[in-house]
Amino acid sequence: MALQGPEEMVEEPEDLDDQDASSISPAEEITLPPGPGGEDEPEEALLLPWDRFSTWLHCICVVGFDLELGQAVEVIYPHHSKLSEKEKTSICYLSFPDSNSGCLGDTQFCFRFRQVSNRKSSLGCFLETNDRDAPPCLKREQGHYYGYVYFRQVRDKSLKRGYFQKSLVLISKLPYVTFFHSLLKIMAPEYFEKQEPCLEAACNDIDRWPTPHPGRILTLPIMGVVIKIRIPTCYDKPGTSQLVQSAQSDSQVSIVLPTIHEVDLFRCFYPVFFHIQMLWELVLLGEALVVMAPSPAESSDTVLALVSCISPLRFCSDFRPYFTIHDSEFKEYTTRTQAPPSVILGVTNPFFAKTLQHWPHIIRIGDMKQAGEMAKQMKVKKLKNLKTLDSKPGVYTAYKPYLNKDEEIIKQLQKGVQQKRPSAAQNAILRRYFLELTQSFMIPLERYVASLMPLQKSISPWKSPPQLRPFIQQDFMKTLEKAGPQLTSRLKGDWIGLYRNFLKSANFDGWFRNRRREMTQKLEALHLEALCEEDLQQRVQQHSEVETVDLVLKLKDKLTQAEREQLPVRPGTVAKLRAHIEAVILALPEDLQGILHKPSTP
Amino acid sequence: MALRELKVCLLGDTGVGKSSIVWRFVEDSFDPNINPTIGASFMTKTVQYQNELHKFLIWDTAGQERFRALAPMYYRGSAAAIIVYDITKEESFQTLKNWVKELRQHGPPNIVVAIAGNKCDLSDAREVPEKDAKDYADSIHAIFVETSAKHAININEVFIEISKRIPVVDAAGGTSGKAFKLGRQASESRRTCC
Repeated sequence: MALQGPEEMVEEPEDLDDQDASSISPAEEITLPPGPGGEDEPEEALLLPWDRFSTWLHCICVVGFDLELGQAVEVIYPHHSKLSEKEKTSICYLSFPDSNSGCLGDTQFCFRFRQVSNRKSSLGCFLETNDRDAPPCLKREQGHYYGYVYFRQVRDKSLKRGYFQKSLVLISKLPYVTFFHSLLKIMAPEYFEKQEPCLEAACNDIDRWPTPHPGRILTLPIMGVVIKIRIPTCYDKPGTSQLVQSAQSDSQVSIVLPTIHEVDLFRCFYPVFFHIQMLWELVLLGEALVVMAPSPAESSDTVLALVSCISPLRFCSDFRPYFTIHDSEFKEYTTRTQAPPSVILGVTNPFFAKTLQHWPHIIRIGDMKQAGEMAKQMKVKKLKNLKTLDSKPGVYTAYKPYLNKDEEIIKQLQKGVQQKRPSAAQNAILRRYFLELTQSFMIPLERYVASLMPLQKSISPWKSPPQLRPFIQQDFMKTLEKAGPQLTSRLKGDWIGLYRNFLKSANFDGWFRNRRREMTQKLEALHLEALCEEDLQQRVQQHSEVETVDLVLKLKDKLTQAEREQLPVRPGTVAKLRAHIEAVILALPEDLQGILHKPSTP
Repeated sequence: MALRELKVCLLGDTGVGKSSIVWRFVEDSFDPNINPTIGASFMTKTVQYQNELHKFLIWDTAGQERFRALAPMYYRGSAAAIIVYDITKEESFQTLKNWVKELRQHGPPNIVVAIAGNKCDLSDAREVPEKDAKDYADSIHAIFVETSAKHAININEVFIEISKRIPVVDAAGGTSGKAFKLGRQASESRRTCC
């Protein structure tokens, strides 16, 4: 075509297309550190139909109400998706409000349920690569699914029941609450109007999305709109890397989501905000906690807010944003023969007020829509007061917080309410408060655990890598005197007691396991690097043939491990090791060369 | 340089070559055995027009009847619609007229309409005279071109013509319309014109 004059069209430079710098904040400047597996484009090219879809969603369900059967899964899309009967039953009950809470109109909420059968995904390895760079609290779920629900209930005289009741439900292992709710807001209203072709179109769109890779700006077209998101990475500074919408854009054309997972903490905690610090302690320690709310939307929002208030720490116990009496774990979790389990439940059915009466900590939330007035519940209530169904909103517990109450934050938030500070600003203040609190708490632990790492000089290429020193509670406690949380937090109180209890919790266990794995891999990586620096030729000359063969086999093992576990080695190390192995093999007699060149069997 | 996102949808009967036109425009390739589109497929291409970059967000809709009801999702918010017919199929030209009607009734008020008579390489089998189509296009103030995705005839031109007809950014508001600047600044303000 002719390229002349001022109206010429020019082919864009290759990389321009993905960089709407305008609508993207400094987040874009954060690039992934170089490392193995950083480029997965060739891998993505190998994906089969529905593979891309599967990296985002397990399936989409439509749950309706049948007069004879009750709630039933009407459609599962894509049709080949596998769900066990038990899982289907769970989805049925969890996709509808379980009490006559009068959810007229459209409601959105989410639930979480146990995966019944272990499905092996052919994408396993690929997903791991994707997951590796995600922050702990955004990693793919292992034994649970999330269900993100868009429920519609409207009067319809043409139907026998007098109501149209239906839910569109996304089943996924990804905890991207805000993102999936936004997605449903686009998909569900269209679906209720236009039925199955609409699902077909949506799934087809999703199956062409890029895979959910942390750190990249992802452009996700769906049903005539483009959603732009960025999944945070574990290398981001918490609370900083968010996509920012440059200005209001036409939401019929494209939408930029500033966050994919953060809920509005202030709105969720508003009814109980005098107690936020105590709630933080309860969540941190993994205490059994139940949220009784008037609707699934409020119960799930509140549970998610609780779980996320210890971010960047991952909440490692079970939690159910919306839990019903039909849940397969109902008996297990409500039994009185054992102490209440370390879980957080969100419920709406009044029946639970009785069933869970013995639980140590109960949050009761009123109707948030009427939350215009200030929460008045200053005092923590005695549990014995919680007997009737219509108990007042508040926190019912006998728990005595370890830390002294921080009046500052309460005042600051109260002032905000009086001055009608925008909810987004209140939310940001609260989020920062929790983040600083959690960081103050975790820094001494991080520091102590880092000190368990053996010295660099103890790594010898010809010995196996040194072990991490064990975590000794007493030693850790001793470090608190000089380098405790008092360095970063002005809060006084029984920090020691809080740590002692935390070290017994699932949250500590999960965090420590993760750290230990990372550090062990680091040691392996350093060992590997040390090995690569050695003069292997010289060593081979000094040793017998048998020993050399042994060396080759060991090096090959190392290589396999480095690739399988994607050890954090310096770039080029793996290539170097491969070259070393090659060189050593070539120095051996020919018959041995043939044997050693065969690919090692896993 | 300012970057403007322009949503563009392709409408028209099944098999007239909507996807082929998009493939030719975006990838400069042609596949005679392309599968029917499901719902719609999405592609983008950025081109320079005067001192702006136009990023076309292209929604290539399915022509099949069962997806007919989904069309509003794609023309909603569109800056332009390319309605495609097959010059060898009179019926597809009738369908095109129905699309024009629907857009007039339910589409965005200032949507730029382009009419593309595709498969112009098959003039032996022509059923729709070029003049008839041209007259019709003129009567509704639409862009008109005959195209061939197969032989890459007039494909880029359709988009050039669309760029020309997109309302210019008004000077007073700095960047307005659907434009925004290519740069680090995230706080660029913009308004929607019209």
